[in-house]
Amino acid sequence: MPLLNRRERVSDEIPTASLADIAFLLLIFFLTTTVFNEERGLPIVLPEKSKEQAVAAKNIIFFLVQPDGRVQVKRGQSEETQTVTADQVSGIMRQELAANANIIAAIKTDPNAPYRDMIHVLDGVKEAGAERISLQMLGED
Amino acid sequence: MALKGGGGGFSRKSRASSEIPTSSLADIAFLLLIFFMVTTTFRKEKKREIQWPKAQATKKVDSKRKNILHIWLTKQGTVWINDQNVPFDQIAGVVRPIYAGNRQLVVEVRADRDVPYHEINTITQQLQAAGAVRVVFGTRLAQRVSRPRR
Repeated sequence: MPLLNRRERVSDEIPTASLADIAFLLLIFFLTTTVFNEERGLPIVLPEKSKEQAVAAKNIIFFLVQPDGRVQVKRGQSEETQTVTADQVSGIMRQELAANANIIAAIKTDPNAPYRDMIHVLDGVKEAGAERISLQMLGED
Repeated sequence: MALKGGGGGFSRKSRASSEIPTSSLADIAFLLLIFFMVTTTFRKEKKREIQWPKAQATKKVDSKRKNILHIWLTKQGTVWINDQNVPFDQIAGVVRPIYAGNRQLVVEVRADRDVPYHEINTITQQLQAAGAVRVVFGTRLAQRVSRPRR
């Protein structure tokens, strides 16, 4: 009978002690391998084709982005320009918005200016809280 | 030792299990596992190597992921839409049917910060021609030490 006694000692249950470990391992694996796509950026609505509207010149402020990163500010009809750095744009735009809530920021970028400079100016304008923004390219009218 | 043997209350106390009940742990873990597996969506699109432009006014795009179309523009001047290399003059032709199938479409332009602006201008014009006027310029939040004076 010693043989039978030994046989009966084997548990008839499925060992579930390690199940939690397995599950947590899988859980942590999926947690760490999951990459959430982050959609972040500066939103803007382009004008629809053939829906261009005439705007009074006094309601426009031009930011002319030059290839070297400098920005020229031109107000309405006046021909004189003021050269500033891209960091100053947001301050200027804030003043303009305070003076005229309907003002439109027209960002005119040189075709060869790097994209980052245009984003820098757009960032400044957005930060100032401007809603009406127009994107244009220099030498194209 | 004599004290312990004599008290009846001691023997009753030791009957309570001293182990933490772990039998439901597996259930909790699997529940979480299944939740994460179900809510994870994989995007097939390949990421392109670009240097993001930095902007302080960077905002999260509050649009469903399926409504966002990425247009990648690499430093070399190649445009990728859904893993396909698209020439500049055919962007409108590619975007138009996508926009027709989903009017909620938001186009995210993910361009390298060093590309010349005329390439961006071409993309925006092509998007206008396609009618997809809601555009996001993909940027990363700029870390600046001090805030500019007001």
